Amino acid sequence: MKTCIACGMPMMEKSDFAGEDTGKDYCVYCARPDGSMQSFEEKRTGMINFIIKTQGFDYKAATKIAESNMKRLPAWKDYFNMEE
Amino acid sequence: MKVKRQLQKENTRIRIIETAYKIYSEHGFTATTAMIAKEARVSHGTIFVHFPSVNELLTHLIEDFGNKLALEMHNLAEKNDNIEKLLKAYLEVLKKYESFYIHLISERSLLPEDVQMIFVNIQSNIAVHFNKVIEREIESQTVKNIPVHMIFNTWMGLIHYYLLNKDLFSPEKPLLERYEEELITTFLEYIRK
Repeated sequence: MKTCIACGMPMMEKSDFAGEDTGKDYCVYCARPDGSMQSFEEKRTGMINFIIKTQGFDYKAATKIAESNMKRLPAWKDYFNMEE
Repeated sequence: MKVKRQLQKENTRIRIIETAYKIYSEHGFTATTAMIAKEARVSHGTIFVHFPSVNELLTHLIEDFGNKLALEMHNLAEKNDNIEKLLKAYLEVLKKYESFYIHLISERSLLPEDVQMIFVNIQSNIAVHFNKVIEREIESQTVKNIPVHMIFNTWMGLIHYYLLNKDLFSPEKPLLERYEEELITTFLEYIRK
């Protein structure tokens, strides 16, 4: 089973994949309207806002959660290694 | 020969993981790796062959539990199932890890920060699936139009309150098995239109 490299979501059905293309490594939620994968900043902002919306957390706490999640994902972990 | 050795190694790893779940479920996260080694009947050093640090062992255990929970939630959320099925499935997985989970929520602040974040990320993952199902039900007017984070937090608050007071609600038997129906039915009464 593939998991999305940008958010970790399991991709089991064709409809889980960006553009329903099972050759893609990212999911339908991490794709832009044109089918390309969202950028680091887009994903980071999206994750922070989503955590606030779904759990009501404080912005700073939500940022910490989003970044710790991204650090573990293949699409983004190098961004953090570059910082260190 | 090599295959046999690999199999033995894999079996030892599984035994360490299963024993660690048991020990942490019984004693909480102050339990030591020496206790796990003794119960699993392996040398103390063997644990560190498989998990170089306690953090790595804890991360593995929490991640493994989280992945099972997330996969179950994901399957239901994507299958257009309703909130009742999602709550049931959530408690079904939690039931298997009840004691471990109680320690996880009551001792979270004692865990190393990176291990804590694994747990927080699991909760976020669950929230994603709740959000998906709840938004769908709000749209179809089967659930009240309450902010999704409040619906999620009310559910988590309810479950955690019961689990954290297990000694009062169900001192001798597993708690979720005893209360799941009442908890689900009552929560649905609150949120349904």
